[in-house]
Order: sequence, then C-alpha cells, then structure tokens
Amino acid sequence: MGGHTDVDGLQRIGVKFYLSETPPLDAVIPVFHRWIQTAAVEGMLIDIADYSHVPDGPGVMLIAHEGNYAVDLNGGRPGVLYYRKQALAGDLDQRVRAVCAAALRAAALLEGEASLGGVKLRGDELQIFANDRLLAPNDGATEAAFAPVLTGLLDRLYAGAPRQLCRDQDPRRRFNVDVKAERGADAATLLQRLTA
Amino acid sequence: MKTWKDELEGRMPADWATEIDLFENQMELRRQGKVEEKLFAETRLRRGAYGQRYDNGQRNDGTGTKALAYPNGALTKGPDTIWDAPGMQRIKIPFGGLNPDQMDVLADLAEEYSDGICHVTTRQDIQLHYVHFDDTPSLLRRLAAIGITTREACGNSVRNVTACPLAGVCRDESFDVTPYANASMKFLLGHPDVQDFGRKFKIAFSGCRQHACGLVNMHDMGAIAVTREIDGETVRGFELYVGGGLGAVPYDAVLFDEFVREDEILPITQAISRVFARLGEKRNRARARIKFLVKNLGMEEFKRLVLEERAKLPHDDRWAAYLDELPSHGEKPLKVGASLNGAARPEGFDAWCETNVYRQRQPGYCVAAVTLPLGDITSHQLRELAAIARRYVGESVRTTVEQNIVLRWVSEADLPQLYEELRALGLSAPGAGSIVDVVSCPGTDTCKLGIASSRGLAGELQSRLAAKAMELDKAVRDMRIKISGCFNSCGQHHISDLGFYGVSRNVGGYTVPHFQVVVGGKWVDNGGSYGLPIGAVPSKRIPDVVTAMTDAYLRERQGQETFQEYTQRVGKKALKDKLAPFTKVPAREEDASFYSDWGDPREFTIGDMGTGECAGEVVSLVDSDLSLAEAMVFDSQLALENGDFTAVADKSYQAMLQGAKALVKMRFLDITDDPDQIVAEFKQRYYDTEIFFDRFGGGRFGQYLFRRHEQKEQPTDTAAGRQLVEEASLFVEACHACSAKLAAQGSTAQGGAAEGVTSTVVTLEL
Ligand code: SF4
Repeated sequence: MGGHTDVDGLQRIGVKFYLSETPPLDAVIPVFHRWIQTAAVEGMLIDIADYSHVPDGPGVMLIAHEGNYAVDLNGGRPGVLYYRKQALAGDLDQRVRAVCAAALRAAALLEGEASLGGVKLRGDELQIFANDRLLAPNDGATEAAFAPVLTGLLDRLYAGAPRQLCRDQDPRRRFNVDVKAERGADAATLLQRLTA
Repeated sequence: MKTWKDELEGRMPADWATEIDLFENQMELRRQGKVEEKLFAETRLRRGAYGQRYDNGQRNDGTGTKALAYPNGALTKGPDTIWDAPGMQRIKIPFGGLNPDQMDVLADLAEEYSDGICHVTTRQDIQLHYVHFDDTPSLLRRLAAIGITTREACGNSVRNVTACPLAGVCRDESFDVTPYANASMKFLLGHPDVQDFGRKFKIAFSGCRQHACGLVNMHDMGAIAVTREIDGETVRGFELYVGGGLGAVPYDAVLFDEFVREDEILPITQAISRVFARLGEKRNRARARIKFLVKNLGMEEFKRLVLEERAKLPHDDRWAAYLDELPSHGEKPLKVGASLNGAARPEGFDAWCETNVYRQRQPGYCVAAVTLPLGDITSHQLRELAAIARRYVGESVRTTVEQNIVLRWVSEADLPQLYEELRALGLSAPGAGSIVDVVSCPGTDTCKLGIASSRGLAGELQSRLAAKAMELDKAVRDMRIKISGCFNSCGQHHISDLGFYGVSRNVGGYTVPHFQVVVGGKWVDNGGSYGLPIGAVPSKRIPDVVTAMTDAYLRERQGQETFQEYTQRVGKKALKDKLAPFTKVPAREEDASFYSDWGDPREFTIGDMGTGECAGEVVSLVDSDLSLAEAMVFDSQLALENGDFTAVADKSYQAMLQGAKALVKMRFLDITDDPDQIVAEFKQRYYDTEIFFDRFGGGRFGQYLFRRHEQKEQPTDTAAGRQLVEEASLFVEACHACSAKLAAQGSTAQGGAAEGVTSTVVTLEL
C-alpha cells in the first residue's frame, strides 16, 4: 500500500454495482422486509428506510448494524449499494473484497426476486468509494494509495478484462472511482471470481 | 491513526472543544459502568443524541417480535436503550440560518455517519438518522468546526431558538428579529439558569402578528416584534407570550407583556427561566412544561414572580451588548437586485414562481423556497445547493418550520437560471406552503413513540396531490396538511387545516392503524388557534377523507371563506358526518391492506400481537363501550363550539368515566355507574398495577381522570374548555391503547380472572 497508512486503516468502504434498470421501489420494500425475517444477507439486519420520495436519492435502504444495503438511485443511476459502517477484519485488500462480496450477494438475491421484474446487474460497471474524508480524502494521494488494491480487485472481478477508471475529481465529494470493464458478468459469476 | 480531534484542533471554539472532550470521557465512563444510565441518558440528550425506534433491542419483523442481537447488547446508553443501536442526532440550527460551508459539512456528515439524508424538522433543526453512537464525538467536532453546536438540542433545556425564515426581508415585519433570536440563543446556551428545568423550553421570534412563520402561539416563550413611539422616538420591543405549546394537550400562549423593550428581552427571559426552574414541576414530566406552571399560577402571579426575579438579577453586559452591533447587522446581497424584465421563462417556471418565490421588501430581490419532500434532502443535493447558494446569494440560506429551505436575496433576474439549476438537482418542485407540501414528523419510521406511519401517509398524500396540483382550486391549494405519528404533535397537526395523528383500533382481534382527523386549526396569526379531533379513520382511507373534505369545502364554501372559517361555520357535527363513510374497516379476509400501514407491508402492530377468537368477543364489548366514550368526547366538542362550558366540563368528564368503566368492565362486569366506584376500580385494577401505563408517558392520562374526578373543574373560557376536551380525548385514546394491549396479550387482564366474566372468556385468559 505504498506506506500510505491513513488509507490502510480505511474501514468505511462502499461499493455500488450498477443495475441495468430501476426496479419498482415499492416492490423492493417487502423484499427487504423478507430478508430481515430470513436473515437473507449478512449482518445484523435492523430496519428499512424508504426514501423513494426523494429524487435520485438513496432509494430503499436496508439498515444493518455493520453496514447499509440499498437499491440506490444517487447520481440518477440505479445500483445495488453496500457500505460499511463497522470495522472488518483483514488488510485493506481483504476488506474491500468483503464489502464487494456482501454487495454481490445482495445483488444476486435481488436478481432472483420475481417481484422485481427480472432486475439485472449491468455486470460491467461499478463505483467504489471511501466513505471517510479523514482517512481517505478525495485527492491524488488517496488514489495512488488505493490503486494497488483496486487493481487487484478489478483483476479478479473482471478476469483481467480491460477497464476504464474515472475518479471523481470534485474535492467536496468522497473519494470515489467509477469503473467500466470491457467484459462484464452476472452477479453470481462476479461473486464466484471474487471469492475463489 | 488520524482522528478528527487532532485534525480539527484549533478550529473549534475552545469551550466547545472542551465540552466534546468531556462528553467523550463521559461515554467512556458509561462504557465502564461508572455513570448511572439515567444520568447518562440526560447527558446524551443534551448533546442532541436521541434514541431511535428498536433501540431496546426488539423489533416485530412481521412474523413476531424478534431480538436484535447487537454485538454489545448488554451495554446501554440509557434505560432500555442499547448502546450499539443506531440513533438520531439532532442538530440545532438557530433561526434556521445556514451558510454554504455548513451545508457542505452537513452533507458530508449525513453521508459518512447517517444514511445520506439530512432531514429538516418542524423547528428548523436538521436531524440525521441511524447514527452509531460511537461516531458522535467525531460528528460533534466536525460540526463545532463550522460553528454549529448540538448542545441542548434535546433534554430538559432551551431547545433551538426559531424565527421567521423571512426575517429581515419580509414586507410585513416590524423589524428583523434575527439578531435577537441569535442573541437569545447565545445568551442561553449553557447558561446556569436554564440547566434545572423539569422539561424542555422552546423559544420563537416573529416579525409580525398576522403570519404563521414564527408560530409564537405554540411556544413556551414567543416574542413578536413591535415598535412604540416613546418620547418622540421609535423604540423596538416585543409583545411577549409565555406558556404555549402543542404536545398531547395544546395550550395557547398567554400574553405576558404587550411591550418588553429590546434591551429587556434577555433579562426577562432569564428571569422567566429562573422562575420556571424554581417552581416548575420536576417529577411528573407530563405536567412539567411551563404552560402548566403559568396555568397553575395564573399569568398575573407568574408575571409578578418574574418581575420580582428580574429586579434581583445581577447585571450582565450581554443583555444589551449585541444591540450596539444592530446598525451594522444585515445581510449583504451577493448580486445586484434586478428585475426579470421579460427574460425567457423556462417550462414550469411560472408555477414554481407562484408558490415558491416571495418578493422581498428590498426591490429586485426575492426569496426562493426549495421544497423538500417530507423535509428530506440528499447529501448530494445539499452540497450542490450550497454551491448554488454561493453563486446566487452567498450566505443567506435558512431552514423553515415547513421543512423546506429558502434562499434569500436572489436577484429577480437570476430566477430562471436558478430554477433551471434547482430542476437539474430535482429540487424545483412547486407547491411550497400549499396542500402538496405535506408536513410530517418521523412517526413510526424512526420515532420510538410513533403509533402510525405519518411519513408513509404524508408521502402517499403528497404524490396523489402533486399529480393533480394544477387542477386543484386555489382555495384547496392554499390549505395545509400536517401529520404526526402520535398525539405528541411534532408534526404540528393542531395548527393545520387538515391535521392527522396516529392512533390504533382493535378490529376483530387485530390492531389496525388509524389516524385521528383534526380540523379547525389555524396556521396564520402565528398558529392562531388549535384544531380538535373529530374522529378516527383507518389509515388507508385518509386519502379519501382528504378528497371528501376538500370537495365538500369547495361545494359548500361561502364567498372567500378559508377552510378554517368553513369548518367553524359548518361545525364539527357536520364534519364528523362526512367521515362516516370512511370509518369502517373491512374484515381481514376481505381486504388485508387495512391491516398494514403505508409503506410497510408488515402486519400492523403496536407491540407483540396475539389473537384469539373469543378475546375478540371480549374486545368487541369493550370497543363498543369505548366508542360510546369517543362519542361523548365529541359531544363535549360540540358543547365547546357552542360556548357551553358547563356542558364541556360535564360531557368530557363523563366521557372519561365511560372510558374507565369500559376497561373496568373487562375484569369486573358488575361495575356500577357510580363515579367514585368507577374511579376507584380503575385506579386499583389499571393504574396502580400500571396496566394502563404506556411505556413512555407512564400514567399521565390516568391522572387526567383523577384530577377531574377530584376537582370537578369548570372552564371559564375556550382555551380552558379545549384543554378538558383534549384531555378527555387522550384519556379515551389511552383506554383504546390499553384494551388493544390486553387483546394482543390474549387476555382481558394480566394474570387475573375477570370477576363475573363467563367461563368461556376466563378460559381464554390463560
Ligand atoms: S408526534 Fe409522536 S411519532 Fe411524531 S415524532 Fe413526535 S413523538 Fe414521535
């Protein structure tokens, strides 16, 4: 990690895997309630927060103790979001992978929800972010420090396929990088590659 | 590892930094078990860190009540409040004033510690939800570094000091109240004389009498700007009111003095605080607001005590120091004020201007309201709104009690471009301050006291009304709807044309979400009068009620009558009749949707639910008795409407007796109509056993009955009469809640057989 100790300590990691279209949000609410009943995704699941009334907002969120899930509409683009609030074990590389795996498991489950009309992950696009302006401000230093971890992650996810990376340069925003790969895969395949 | 404490050292006011360090130490001591949990809860609340729904570690997930296995489940941050459970952080925004740098940081905090949403409250605060308590010190430090403190945002202290969002630019104000509101906030923050209150104390400043913006009438202390000619000079002062408040039983503020000179407003506030701290109720929270003290003492005696206290106060330079800076006070517009002058008007612009743009008294300038759905704005929107503010108005941004944000000092010529930029952010919805702009408290979404989903209902009404906003008659468009999740009235349902607050009803052994319909409230004249409930309607029928009420208003309206005037004219009885078609709940097999709340597919519950067929029979008996009690409450309202105070006293008391009797009958069928026996039996069976108590309010509603039974109060004016009606209404609601609780437990009473109850029913109690 190039000795950038602040980024090394980053715990508040998040990822959004983009969806090909927006699922009906009112149908997401019962799905998330059911997930709480059946403990369908990892974490201590607490409650649902419905922000479907907010344009391009957090959509519908599933609040867990360790991190929040959402069918998120921020930026005008739907996606399956997971961001971590509590510490994870392992080094940064492992933590980033764990966050992505949690999001992909949720995405794979959503893809299987008939009530959501066959919603599909785009599979070739994601956004990764650091939700911590103290340890990972949105600057070139963070980008440089984060690059090896990101490269390792994307090599696994996209099986070496070429990809384009674009860091949001606005210093007011949290550190975030949009990734577009030349070849994508469905949620299950991405998850399998990540955890192999 | 870096910390915000190190990072922000020297950038926070030194005393605030020390306070936060101390708070962090107290957190550590609590973790070690060295601070008692009740004491710690008040400490935490005084930092604005509230509990949130499910923080007791239990949640009904739709299949039953389940434990939430927080990792640190044994550690609490207050009674029945688990440390690890996410909570709400309230952030005081004095007079709603924000600058772009503060908006940026608020956006960051919502993103990093909350759920990416800043929620504007009905008292101009900002709230963040789902915050982990361990994050609080960092969050508070980041706020302190931009000049925001959360000190005394909750707890028994002086809450946010609010003021009209138009102060300084309003066409009708006597003068700009902003510096006075700001000075009050600074003077009272952490002041030793405001540390020993039995309950919270809310202050508001208003620039005029006639508009609503300050809502003086519903505040513990409210000041309306007035001027007087004294010795040939125009002198500024305030018409000062004390003892107003919404909550379960709303009180009109009482005039304390027609003219308190500007240099006396702080010392008088201090003297009022001292009297409240000394004489206000401390043990019984339900009677501890200053409104009860004012009522008990009477304004004359209260004022005498305050003036006596004022005379004894040691002089404090801060009382008047800020007045020297008044001449230089005022916002500097960023742009030159210029008229639109025939500039192109984008699509939707005119409709937006009609409701969201207010022409300032300063020529060429406007205030633009940004309508926030349910008071919510995303981090991204808030950050970009800050950027817009920097470009168009500089520092002049305020939150409003209608849960919106306003940009002040917009040059008229910039309006089309501003509108386009807001539109790109999804922030250009028209309808600010109209029927579409529904106000709601958090309700069951996050509030521990919520009974029904106020936000779910608000969202539903908002989207239905917005869809037909253009077709609505202007008289209907100008109405306001405000919703609370329970009787506590955080959504300010008492002062809207149509108000709703969440209640529940037992139907065939199931708990069904309902809303009480409140009409007759007045928004203008600083929240000039309070509405009264006319009946409970199933939650899912409320949109139909809104349609029926607004249609009837349009049909029956005389001249330019407002909805409030219309309700006064036609009377509560006629209005209640209009609810009748919507009150029936279909059987569950017929339509299960009635048995869940808006936006929440779980079967509705106000706790753990259990049902039994025969328990249902017992409940129907009690329900019919309680419905009679409700009808009696309504009768007392009609008496109030007719100004017959003797009948108000009698009927409201009889309604309470009827409610109490209904409950007693569940355990003792042979109860007579003797009031002494009813009250004694009720006390013994339900009050002393605490079966009647609700988790948060304890036995306060029971005390209403006991007081009335002992004192046989006779109201002498409308305000006093309305209090009796409200108390009766709340008591009967509490009887409903108690009966629902018992039904849900599958028993007529905890662990006891009902005397005289048939054997069939007794079996079911086991
Ligand atoms: S009115 Fe009731 S539900 Fe709404 S915020 Fe207040 S206490 Fe909670």
